Amino acid sequence: LAGAVQKYGFINAKLRARISKILPEEQLAEMARAKSLTEAVELLKNTSFAVVASVFSKTGDIKSAELELARREVRLYLELEELTKGEVRAIVYALAERFEVENLKHALRLWFDSRVRGRRIDAAVGYLLRDRVHRDLALDRIVNAASLQEAAQALEGTPYGEPVGRSAAEVAQVRSLFPVEIALDHHFYRQLLAAVNGLGPRDRDIARRMIGAEIDLANINWLIRFKGFYKLAPERALACAIPEGIHLSPEAVAEAYAADNPTAVLAELVRRRYPGLSGLLASREAVESYARLVMIERILAEILMLEVRHLLAGYPFTIGILLAYFVLKSAEIRRIMTILNAKFYNWPEERIMAAL
Amino acid sequence: MIFPQSMKQLVAVVLERDADQVTRVLLDQGVMHFVSVTEMDPQLSQRLSAGMPRVTEAMVAEIRRRIEGLFSLASQGPPAQTELRVEDLQALDLNQTNRQLDELAAALSGVRERQQGLQQEILKLEDIRRQLAMFGELSVGMQSRSQYSFLNIQSGTVRRTALSTLVEELKSVPSVHLVVGEEENQATLLLITMRRDDGLVNKLLDRHGWTEVELARESLGGKEEVLADLDGKLALFREEQEKLKSGIEALIREKRPELERMWSNLRLNELYARIQSYFSHTARTLIFSGWLPAGTQAPLGEALLKATAGRCYLEWHDPSELPSAQKAKVPVQLTGPSLLAPFKMLVTNYSIPQYGTVDPTPFVFLAYLAMFGLMFGDVGHGLVLALVGIAGIAAYRGASQNIRNLMKLAVWCGGSAMVAGALFGSYFGLGLLPPLWFNYHGAVVGQHTVGVVKDVYGILLITIWFGIGVIAMGLVLNWINRVRRRDWFGLVFDKAGLIGGWIYAAGVYTAFYFAGRSYKQLPPGNFLSLAIGLPVLLLALKAPLEFIFHREQKRFQVFTLIDWGMEWIVEILEIFAGYLANTLSFMRVAGLGIAHVSLVVAFFSIAGMLRGPGGNFTPGSYLVLVAGNTLIIALEGLSAGIQSLRLNYYEFFSKYFSGSGRAYEPISLRKRQ
Repeated sequence: LAGAVQKYGFINAKLRARISKILPEEQLAEMARAKSLTEAVELLKNTSFAVVASVFSKTGDIKSAELELARREVRLYLELEELTKGEVRAIVYALAERFEVENLKHALRLWFDSRVRGRRIDAAVGYLLRDRVHRDLALDRIVNAASLQEAAQALEGTPYGEPVGRSAAEVAQVRSLFPVEIALDHHFYRQLLAAVNGLGPRDRDIARRMIGAEIDLANINWLIRFKGFYKLAPERALACAIPEGIHLSPEAVAEAYAADNPTAVLAELVRRRYPGLSGLLASREAVESYARLVMIERILAEILMLEVRHLLAGYPFTIGILLAYFVLKSAEIRRIMTILNAKFYNWPEERIMAAL
Repeated sequence: MIFPQSMKQLVAVVLERDADQVTRVLLDQGVMHFVSVTEMDPQLSQRLSAGMPRVTEAMVAEIRRRIEGLFSLASQGPPAQTELRVEDLQALDLNQTNRQLDELAAALSGVRERQQGLQQEILKLEDIRRQLAMFGELSVGMQSRSQYSFLNIQSGTVRRTALSTLVEELKSVPSVHLVVGEEENQATLLLITMRRDDGLVNKLLDRHGWTEVELARESLGGKEEVLADLDGKLALFREEQEKLKSGIEALIREKRPELERMWSNLRLNELYARIQSYFSHTARTLIFSGWLPAGTQAPLGEALLKATAGRCYLEWHDPSELPSAQKAKVPVQLTGPSLLAPFKMLVTNYSIPQYGTVDPTPFVFLAYLAMFGLMFGDVGHGLVLALVGIAGIAAYRGASQNIRNLMKLAVWCGGSAMVAGALFGSYFGLGLLPPLWFNYHGAVVGQHTVGVVKDVYGILLITIWFGIGVIAMGLVLNWINRVRRRDWFGLVFDKAGLIGGWIYAAGVYTAFYFAGRSYKQLPPGNFLSLAIGLPVLLLALKAPLEFIFHREQKRFQVFTLIDWGMEWIVEILEIFAGYLANTLSFMRVAGLGIAHVSLVVAFFSIAGMLRGPGGNFTPGSYLVLVAGNTLIIALEGLSAGIQSLRLNYYEFFSKYFSGSGRAYEPISLRKRQ
């Protein structure tokens, strides 16, 4: 017990304090109701997102504000790395890798837009996160690379060179970045699970359950996109699934993919593991594909939140708080940026709320 | 002062046609804490209907908040609610108000778009600047492009007449150009662009008759010159952005009078709508009810009669007329001088006392400050704390009431520490003057051998006696509350009732008697039987009497006897263990006081180690003392404050504070928002 308190006492208190500042639903609803982007951003002024309001008031640019937010989160994780030791530090390190992976995906998307789609990316390059997470990525070389192989060469000496290089041929063939994005997701979860293996039995169980749930959700998300946008063959889609999910076996994923309605597998999951959410499935007639996607995303978010609530209500000196913070903060940032971007495009309130 | 304000209940029936005047009077007087009429008598809900207001409070509040958001854009707050006057209330046209705000929002969006456009330009230039900074010499770059550079550096000439158009069109790509020479018809340029834009740039240059020329090394200029040019452009863009930001603030300031007028009317209408939401209606009348301080009964009654020209029925009730369940719902207004506001905050932070019971504020004032002083007794440290509080009051003039109360609390705590410091003879840890009571430092470090307190055991004993005093005060307050509520059963049998107090007093006497005789002898004769045994036996009557007087529709069974027995045993255990723990808990006061002294001693020792060759304090010694005292004030001040609060909340309040009251919250213009 003393070990657990020593290990998690400070870091979990710090993260719990931050969790307590997560914006309540009413605040998000008020932002969605705001009559303009400026008024929506102003509502963040006295919150933990004050930096968004501050950057926006200087630049009028919501993407610059988002970049500043990402910078602060990276700084927090690097600070947490400093404050932790041993296996907990390894988990923080592995979680922080997501920022690097997402930034790399961002750079690769810019490369794809510029080289494959022939779009202008001048201003967009400015939104790449230039701060070092764990490695100095040659982002300019990647964005300006003549080919994906050249981008892979720019990543030599990092764990990303191999998956990017391996996916290059398929990216060229399918003219889509999903093979490389999936390869990077695989890498992220693989290194995260490797860090989890170094934890004690109790923490390992908690972390596997949480990360497993996240992997399930990531797999279902990919599944929907494969079926809806990429029209992948079932065996290829199955090969893309990230292993170590907790609720969904590869067979269940395959079955879901083959079914006419990809929400069937979700319904089964909800019925078995989260009966409290059955109402969400029953409450909507999601025949149209957009509405179905919205519904699925909502259920996935609810499932994850149930897991988080379970962790927060449990024994306080475990790795659970760290993982809960990671999930909650990511979700919060995503929701706030969804609202602000939707306000930028003048979406009506109902559509914004449905997208959250 | 020790009991909350006396309240009166008003039930009023007025004609529907007088609704507006009545609402204005109620808003103007601002004394009514409204309650729903149907809450008083649920059957009335079948005969009364809620109103159908044209505008609801929520609709108005949303627009008001929108205006507050606009004020906030210019780092301004809304006007003070206390300056609003009911006479200024006008009918609202929400559509018109929204239209006006939409126009302003559209103007702001236009500025934001310009800001965003500038930001995009800045990002493009920053990109090219970053590449250029990493690049080697320009002349070398022109001849052999670096493998890792994404820049294209070229030089060439264009017709002078085409120059301005070319420069304008180059703005669409990240680029930097330097005019390095001008002749009669031609201009020579050094142009730096991103290699990925080669296709677009080449087309553009071809269109303007660009002819590549090779420049002499000396005419190229250095990289620094180009960077300086870029920095100049970036600075201009940023300046422009700053101007736009200031423009937004200026626009809001310019519109402020109009926005203030709109805000004021919205706020008045919001409160007006809130009052009307409590009105229940019949065909031609409306009925409302609420609580108000007894002292305001006459002015409100007269104003209502005047507003309705006597066409109203007012019924006044005293809380004593209500059944006990209803009495608990009477709102509570804590009175007392505003000087005690910080302590009122501590009480309400815990809970609101029930109507008619003792207001703990003055007792918390005494107990909190005494505890704080005992834990943090030092004139110097107290002075610093008080000065910090005074500075905070000045700095947070416009802050929330809670923040200002916190600052006032720091002043009080500082004062308490100074008084205690004088009693203990401690001035920044130095004994500059003799103690008025006893030398706390001496007692802790073992230097003091005469006087009332000789060592840390003496300090512990003082705090235990202090705790006994606080608990005894809590018991007495509980008895007063029970008598006022006519809760005779609770007065006798409650854990903090007369029997509980009897056992506690006997326990204290026995403990001190035993300790005073070297833990070898208990009080003689029948003392223990009478002082402890008898009340314990009397407690056995609690469950049966409760069964008889408060039957709760239970039937007597054999198991009921077992229940009674179990309840009795648990009650005895709770009383004995609870009082013992409560009393010993006050030893933390000594603990923190001793820690305070120990820290001071520790820092003086460290400062002593840094003495110079002549045995005098060096600047390093003084630095340690200043840093140490700062740390002590911050750390110990916080600890003492928290522990005092904890002792009040858990050891003192638990004896008498039921805390199930409702705060008195009138709808009033005179309240700060």
